[in-house]
Amino acid sequence: MSIFLSDWYYLSIRSIKQIWRPLLALIPSLFIPIFFFLVNSASLSAFSNVKGFPKVPYRDFIAPVALFTAVFFSCGNAGIELAQDISNGYFKKLLIMPISRLTIILGRLTEVAVQAVMQGMIVMVLLLLVGVRIRTGVAGALAIFVILIVFAMGWSCLSMITALRTQNMRLVQSMFVIVFPFLYITTSQAPLNLLPSPFRQMASVNPVTYIIEGVRALVLTADWGSAAIWQGFLVACAFFVIMVSLTLASFNKTLK
Amino acid sequence: MPDNIIEVKDLKKTYPGGTEAVRGVTFNVRAGEFFGFLGPNGAGKSTTMNMLVNLVKKTSGDIIIDGLDLDVKSREIYGRIGFAMQEIGLDETATAREMLNLHGRLYHMSKEKIDSQIDKLLKLVELEKVADKFTQTYSGGMRRRFDLALSLIHEPKILFLDEPTQGLDPHARQLIWGHLRELNKNGMTVFLTTHFMDEAEALCDRLAIMDKGQIVTEGTVKELLEKHDAKNLEEVFLTTTGSNLGEEEVNTNASDPYSRARG
Repeated sequence: MSIFLSDWYYLSIRSIKQIWRPLLALIPSLFIPIFFFLVNSASLSAFSNVKGFPKVPYRDFIAPVALFTAVFFSCGNAGIELAQDISNGYFKKLLIMPISRLTIILGRLTEVAVQAVMQGMIVMVLLLLVGVRIRTGVAGALAIFVILIVFAMGWSCLSMITALRTQNMRLVQSMFVIVFPFLYITTSQAPLNLLPSPFRQMASVNPVTYIIEGVRALVLTADWGSAAIWQGFLVACAFFVIMVSLTLASFNKTLK
Repeated sequence: MPDNIIEVKDLKKTYPGGTEAVRGVTFNVRAGEFFGFLGPNGAGKSTTMNMLVNLVKKTSGDIIIDGLDLDVKSREIYGRIGFAMQEIGLDETATAREMLNLHGRLYHMSKEKIDSQIDKLLKLVELEKVADKFTQTYSGGMRRRFDLALSLIHEPKILFLDEPTQGLDPHARQLIWGHLRELNKNGMTVFLTTHFMDEAEALCDRLAIMDKGQIVTEGTVKELLEKHDAKNLEEVFLTTTGSNLGEEEVNTNASDPYSRARG
């Protein structure tokens, strides 16, 4: 194993252990996506009768949002734990080790991916139990995880950049709520053609829309050639590369 | 091995905002030496030390560590130095054994070597019984001792210590002093900053006293006493720095969490 991979592996193990410490911290991030899914699918199910709405059960239509939220609730910890390392001085120890700084970021992102898979799997099983169908099958379910996790890792860089630039724990914690405007100004509740004009335009430039639509295409259609699927992959990958690059650039800002 | 294991030439640091923390410092530390760096608060000791380990960017000057230029070979240098900082940075969600193991891995040591070092170091700092407890449960003295052990896992050639006995009771201080003497006796170069004159006098082969970003005097304890016609090191300190309280300044190195709120 090369030194780079070895450093990445051991830093990932350290970060993954932090997911369970404490275990209770996992409960809200599982409860909230399930809560929103159950409430929305019950209270808004009549939406599927609206003209122009896809001919699918509403719970299937919003299932991608539940998966997205479940995966996204794994994003906050990377920045919070990095901010903790910075505030207690441990981060400086990592900076003066003979390791690549990229491995410090990748270690944190691996934690995000592991937590995202755990939370996403639980919500996925729950969705299947209440009758949601994934039309692209097992391969589609795997593709859903790839799109969501790559994007979630990119998103978690936002809190890491905040941690590196401000070294302020409260600011890092408050960054988490930024996901909500991005989540709601999308096609999360209704298709693009049913959104009023200003929202439609905003949703069209919101990267989260492409992620939701990509996952939705995998859930609702059996068509692997759907443009929405590949747009979802491309947006997730591009976002990931940009955000990791920005995080790496922020490392230099920590040294005054 | 070079005679001088640390060579510093005309080192300067001006923080953004204009604070001149270090104003052209030149000194050498010999291999195997126990070198003390003294000075009042705000004298520039910690900034100098942080520049030596690359945690603060220098404005100008040269730093050569173990024959390697810090600007060019920082990664190689990191493998040869250990640093126990003033702020004890520990992962509080990990146990002492887990942290030592992780650090051993990140210094690319073999599993056998790591295991033997862990046993040796936990015994050295008398923390064998709590090795599998989370570090957040440790007292201040235990944390300080563990931090020292952590900085030694890869058997560095040079150990940097920034106020290593700050906040410790006399027993814990004596314990740390004993460990440091032992390490130095075994050939490790130690670079120490401290506020405590008795600590410097008890441990250091040679000292430099810094004030207002410059070295104001340098030599062995004996040389300094003779040079400044003083009875003890505290007198030398007061004579050379003018006061036992330095001109402390706001830490411009720290981020201002309220800057946005103030606009």
